[in-house]
Amino acid sequence: MKMLLFFLRLFIWFSLRNMRRHMGRAATVLFGIALGAAVFTSVRLSVNASLDSFSKSMDLIAGQADHVLTRPGGYVPENLMATLLNQEIMQSASPVMSTYTRVSQADAEPFLLIGFDPILDRPMRQWRVDDQSGQQGAAWLDLLKEPYTLILGKPLAHQLKLAPGDSLILEHARQKVRFKISGMLEPNGLALAESGRIAITDIATFQEFTGLFGKVDRIDLKLVSSATSKDLAAVEQLLPEGIQLNPPTATRESGQMMIRAYQLNLSILSFASLFVGMFLVYSLVALNAASRRHELAVLRATGASAYHIFFIFLAEGAFLGIVGWLVAIPLGHILIKYLLHGVSQTISTLFVRVQVDALSLSVYEIVFSFFVTVGISVLAAYQPAREAMQVPPKEALEISQLGMQARISPRQLAFGGLGCILLVVPLSKLPAILGMPLPGYLAIFLLFVGFALLAPWALVKISHILSSILLKRFGIPAYLAGRYVRDSGTRTAVSVGALITAVALFTALVIMIFSFRQTVAYWTYETIKGDLFLTSKMGQINRFRYPVPQPVIDHLQNYRSQVDLLPNRQFFLTYDKFPYVFELMDMQGYMQYASFFWLKGDPDKIRPMLKGGEGVVVSEVFSNRTGLSVGDFFEAQIEESYVKLQILGIVRDYRTQGGAVFYSLPHFNKRYHPVYWGGLRFFFKDRSQDLDAAVARLRTDIIDRLGDRVDMYSGKGLRGAVLRIFDETFAVTTVLLLIALLIAGLGIATTLSVLVLQRSRQLNTLFALGASFRQIRSMIFWEAAFLVVIGELAGVICGFILSYLLIYVVNRQSFGWTFIYAVDWDALLLSIPLIIITALAAALPAVKMVFRRPPATLLRER
Amino acid sequence: MTDESSRTVISAKGLTRTYQLGDSEVIGISQIDLDIAAGELVVLKGNSGSGKSTLLSLLAGLDRPTGGELMVARHDLNHASDIQLTQFRRQVVGMVFQSFNLLPTLNALENVCLPALLAGKSLVETRPKAMELLRWLEIEDRLHHLPAQLSGGEMQRTAIARALINDPAIILADEPTGNLDSRNGQIVMDLLAELNRKWNRTVLIATHSTLADQMASVRMGLKDGMITSFA
Repeated sequence: MKMLLFFLRLFIWFSLRNMRRHMGRAATVLFGIALGAAVFTSVRLSVNASLDSFSKSMDLIAGQADHVLTRPGGYVPENLMATLLNQEIMQSASPVMSTYTRVSQADAEPFLLIGFDPILDRPMRQWRVDDQSGQQGAAWLDLLKEPYTLILGKPLAHQLKLAPGDSLILEHARQKVRFKISGMLEPNGLALAESGRIAITDIATFQEFTGLFGKVDRIDLKLVSSATSKDLAAVEQLLPEGIQLNPPTATRESGQMMIRAYQLNLSILSFASLFVGMFLVYSLVALNAASRRHELAVLRATGASAYHIFFIFLAEGAFLGIVGWLVAIPLGHILIKYLLHGVSQTISTLFVRVQVDALSLSVYEIVFSFFVTVGISVLAAYQPAREAMQVPPKEALEISQLGMQARISPRQLAFGGLGCILLVVPLSKLPAILGMPLPGYLAIFLLFVGFALLAPWALVKISHILSSILLKRFGIPAYLAGRYVRDSGTRTAVSVGALITAVALFTALVIMIFSFRQTVAYWTYETIKGDLFLTSKMGQINRFRYPVPQPVIDHLQNYRSQVDLLPNRQFFLTYDKFPYVFELMDMQGYMQYASFFWLKGDPDKIRPMLKGGEGVVVSEVFSNRTGLSVGDFFEAQIEESYVKLQILGIVRDYRTQGGAVFYSLPHFNKRYHPVYWGGLRFFFKDRSQDLDAAVARLRTDIIDRLGDRVDMYSGKGLRGAVLRIFDETFAVTTVLLLIALLIAGLGIATTLSVLVLQRSRQLNTLFALGASFRQIRSMIFWEAAFLVVIGELAGVICGFILSYLLIYVVNRQSFGWTFIYAVDWDALLLSIPLIIITALAAALPAVKMVFRRPPATLLRER
Repeated sequence: MTDESSRTVISAKGLTRTYQLGDSEVIGISQIDLDIAAGELVVLKGNSGSGKSTLLSLLAGLDRPTGGELMVARHDLNHASDIQLTQFRRQVVGMVFQSFNLLPTLNALENVCLPALLAGKSLVETRPKAMELLRWLEIEDRLHHLPAQLSGGEMQRTAIARALINDPAIILADEPTGNLDSRNGQIVMDLLAELNRKWNRTVLIATHSTLADQMASVRMGLKDGMITSFA
């Protein structure tokens, strides 16, 4: 305790007071690390909020069930209930159906309607009608007694401004129906799913509303505790073909898997801000260790041990981390408002629907962010602390302050750096670990470290090569700047390292996003072809589980003379927990107007085979995730049929909710069983007409004759929407990127200011020797130019390698897809000079600082 | 053990310190034999580069010899570990530097207390002694001033107080008047002499100045790292 108090006192006397003396410097570093910590924590909290909301909803909806009966891609016959309830091991069974529906009014948000038997469901899920809502607990009986009654979650009721006794019109694929509200749910258990934006109704009403008579989505089972695996196997024997018995966690896990992959990518990206912040901490602690070398020697001479010094500097790092983390709290508060909405929107669009209203703060996340922030700050301080502890006490007797000498030569560092960069190659070839691209991330980390270690050697070499040219062309200030940068050792290299990291990230992400966008745009243009797309009402949000109504199909036959109608059907399935869509389409018609984006296999050979129903093509994502490739067999249970088809080719596909498998609809009907149409696409036969006008006319005509019983999207609108969603998704990435660049800018400003302060005596001596203010300022500016230009050059090279890693390693291992490599030269050529100008602007405070104090005073001082 | 040997506080035999500068070897001091009895006031003279500071840094445990033997207050400094050297600096010697070497972020009182705190004493027990020393040195009204707010003489007196806080047996002063005007220089020399006379400390002063000549009990001359006179 006494020791700790003493150390604390020493830290306050020696370090904190020094930071107070150089408040601006410390504040800049604190702001940098705080910004990094705020970004890192906010991103994790935002994704966690979505993950929690999703998991919670799934758990609340699954309830107490320990097994679930489903039919992949289809429905479970309701009459199975009788058989199941007769089994001895069955404690309870509850048939469940759910769908997204909405109130029939413009701009109404969809919400989840759940249908079950209120009596059978009692032991399965926790839900209770609010006594305050007027019906005194008997409301749930109304569900059984009166058709078309429902009970609303309170948040939904408040949003719709409805109360028990009111009625509302709900619309669905088949019809619009007036429902009566018999009560509201107490805000616990099931009522918390989807943030309370749910409604429950009796299963019979649900079936009548959706037209799914005698069918249910699933049957939740609760078995007696003594049930054995043998008993379970016996139950499975009783099930009709195609019905599967699974734990209720399967759907939740596949959703969580996708969100976690997104979280990992976003966390890594946000960690980059913290990583750049780490350079700032290193730079400040290293500067303190170097500029206070004489003080350290005095401290040693007066009795401090080497470990006192070591821990003082380590504590400096920890202090910056702790205060940075505290400052990050208000910063994060601001940032999270933006991120929470952006991230949940992105997850809803890309992976699974989530409804996030509030942030859930977990102790783990708070502790994790604290330790990561403080940990990297301490790590950043470690090397300067090691160097500081090696200051010999005899230097207390020396008059001249030599500054920190580099212990490792730039050449040795360069060899180390080269080694790191070479390691990137084998690491990038390693497979993902537990589905996460950890070797890829390690490769990226080593790439950054490698380039940072190469920086001092590059500075020495380039300055050496340029010094005589600079002298001739730009005079003595440029020459002296080159010499200084050459001899400054690792200190300037640190800020160059920070700049390399930020520029590399910028370059790589610009390339990756551009490649991704170009590839997606091409894919959209080639594969999402069609002049008009039609689905059942709310087909997309309900994953096309409801057929396009027959009267609609009958009516659409009238347009056959002017359009080709291409029906399709999608089944959302899982392959070993990996979600994918099995899409049936009219291959003959599709290939007449559109084409796949081929990746593997000979398209000319595959096309006729696909039209003939001889096999399937799978998406790159499906192939990478399942390990199935051309020649292998795709096997799956689809409704009542067991499908086994050869994989003919692999195509690029960028739908985000998993992989895709494509097969011919007519051949499926013939070979397996007939399926209803989930949607259609229209192609006008006369391609020479004004297609936009023709689409508008057709759309109006369908609405006039069928009303709003279907959803329609123009092909052009749909393709535009795909790219709009893409751009929105990467808005979060762009924000994170800009923050990393901002922190790097702060790093440059700090380093240059620090270099100037440290050499004020030297600079003033130059002044005394006849250099003008202008010459000295010009010299500082040249130094900045050196650091920035070299940092940018190395950063761009590093960025190109990084972009390759991101596209072909990280993306393939995280999401299963790759893109066609494309460089956005326009953006790079425009932004890189802009970064140079911004970074040079960051040098201005340093330039201003040179003669802040009168030269004569400085020269007199020791 | 003879009386003389028991009184010897510094003993050097063939003491050598060389430095490697690139490929060449630079001699700091060479083959110095030395015996200094407790309670002496030794004035060490010599030009710049003669080896005065090198000798003082060896005696202070700031550096290690490259040859010979060195015993200071019964501590074998040739074979002492880093930890032992740190302990030695805390307990045996007090240093006074030409450039004062006060820590700029600590006020006068804190600077004086620092070595005692480093030696494991508490601030509560150290503070009265530090105050007493500063009072004796007549700078008690500057206790809470930072070094930058003190005059040269005040800074050096603070440094002397700092050197004394752990009651060291030996005071080593490296050009203590080098940065002072003659009046303050005289005050500092008088204080060092008083330390020697009244407090019976062994004092070694490396200086160019003649101010200490009359006070010295031993005068030692150094040139090119070797003793040229010892009287």
